[in-house]
Amino acid sequence: MFPAWNPAQPEITDLIVQHDPHTHERLPVRKQELLEVFHRFNNRQALRAVHSLPEKAGVLDDRGIDALLLTVHWEMQRLAEEFYHGHRVWQLLRCVLASIRQAGIRETLRVADVGCGTGYTTRWLAANIPLADYNIELLGMDLNSVLIAEANRLASAERLPCQFFQQDAFSPEHSSHIFLSTGVIHHFRGPALLEFLRRHDQPDVQAFLHFDFQPWFLAPFGSWFFHYLRMRTAIARHDGVLSAARAHDARTLTEAARATAPRFAAGIYGAKIWNTPAPRVFHSLIGLRRNLVPELRRQLGRHATRLGELR
Amino acid sequence: MRLLSLYLLALLDGLLCGLRASMGRCPLIRKRGYYTRASIRGIIGAQIISTLALIVLLLTAAFSTYRDALRADLEVAATHMLWIFLPYAALVLFNLGLRLLPSTDIRSATSVFMLGPLTAIRPLVMVAGILYGISASRLLATRLLALFILVLMLSLEFALNYRAGRAQSLQIRLLV
Repeated sequence: MFPAWNPAQPEITDLIVQHDPHTHERLPVRKQELLEVFHRFNNRQALRAVHSLPEKAGVLDDRGIDALLLTVHWEMQRLAEEFYHGHRVWQLLRCVLASIRQAGIRETLRVADVGCGTGYTTRWLAANIPLADYNIELLGMDLNSVLIAEANRLASAERLPCQFFQQDAFSPEHSSHIFLSTGVIHHFRGPALLEFLRRHDQPDVQAFLHFDFQPWFLAPFGSWFFHYLRMRTAIARHDGVLSAARAHDARTLTEAARATAPRFAAGIYGAKIWNTPAPRVFHSLIGLRRNLVPELRRQLGRHATRLGELR
Repeated sequence: MRLLSLYLLALLDGLLCGLRASMGRCPLIRKRGYYTRASIRGIIGAQIISTLALIVLLLTAAFSTYRDALRADLEVAATHMLWIFLPYAALVLFNLGLRLLPSTDIRSATSVFMLGPLTAIRPLVMVAGILYGISASRLLATRLLALFILVLMLSLEFALNYRAGRAQSLQIRLLV
């Protein structure tokens, strides 16, 4: 396989911005350290991309990196738009919300977008869903202050009823009822994946929906072609394809969820297109309080066949 | 009529180039106005190219001693070009039309399986269409004119991308 597709390595965007896990303050990142990471994987494509990053005396230039990150996230939004990701999230979220209501929970439901970036999913929902009718509140959380500032700027520019916070999504400060994410879960690997899913097990949480690439042998090729056509920055092209190679398979996700969040029934939604063997580009790990499962199947109607084994 | 068809196809191509150059550069959710402006920019670009081509054509005709032969030769070349360009345009429009269907799978499949690859082969289609037109023409003036238009059309997306990229960089620089 090509070195740039080796799933053992991190993505460039995982490394170019570092935050103190406790204070969330930004930490300096030395370019040489990044180069050494990708040297170890003989990943020349990543090395070229890292070489071109703006720096000052060997340390990545915060301003230049922030500009690059925004450019990449604007581009990534284009992919979400082309995949009608907002519609897909809403198709499932609507049924999950209805199941929760059917169980007698009447309070305002908080939906938190974990690792929201510039908040496309949350802003799409805020722009297209009558939140008052569903009595839901939309929040987005990310550790990157620049992306959060941009998400809030965009929400404010379009007067969208949603808010974004630079913080750990699982902190008790904004306890939520539903956690969702897009393209985030593959960043957690090994013990970190288990810890990520374990943290969903909070008293208020009713469900979680984590959308991510679905791995299969053609995924990196398809992703390469699509990113080559649609993305303009070297980092987006590199990381987009690597994401497809690093994506967790259904078994890894469901086993991790069942082991660490046993109070939830966990399974995969939307793995195949129209019940054919053809896989969807994205699938989603869904976790649900066990009492909600029969109602979710009912709410999904003809789409219930998209739901795999939920246990 | 055939030259008019080519002109209309050039405007359609300009519109789509304008759209593509603008995509991924505006992170708002509601951006019908943004895309409308981008499409108009593309159409204007294609119109400028068409006008330039027309000026060159008129100048060629004005100084030509074989005006009727030139006109007939252009018609023949245009007919051949349409054999390539019309099916391509029809395929693009058909896939754009499919996006009206209320199925997220079909809509996104048009992007992945059709519109993406169709975008990728656009330069090849341009070259193939022009070469096919040239192959049927007998006059050097027609061939040079066709090559001139090819260069302009291939430059259009580059120019629109360059402009959109600069505007985006400027906007992002103000944000960070």
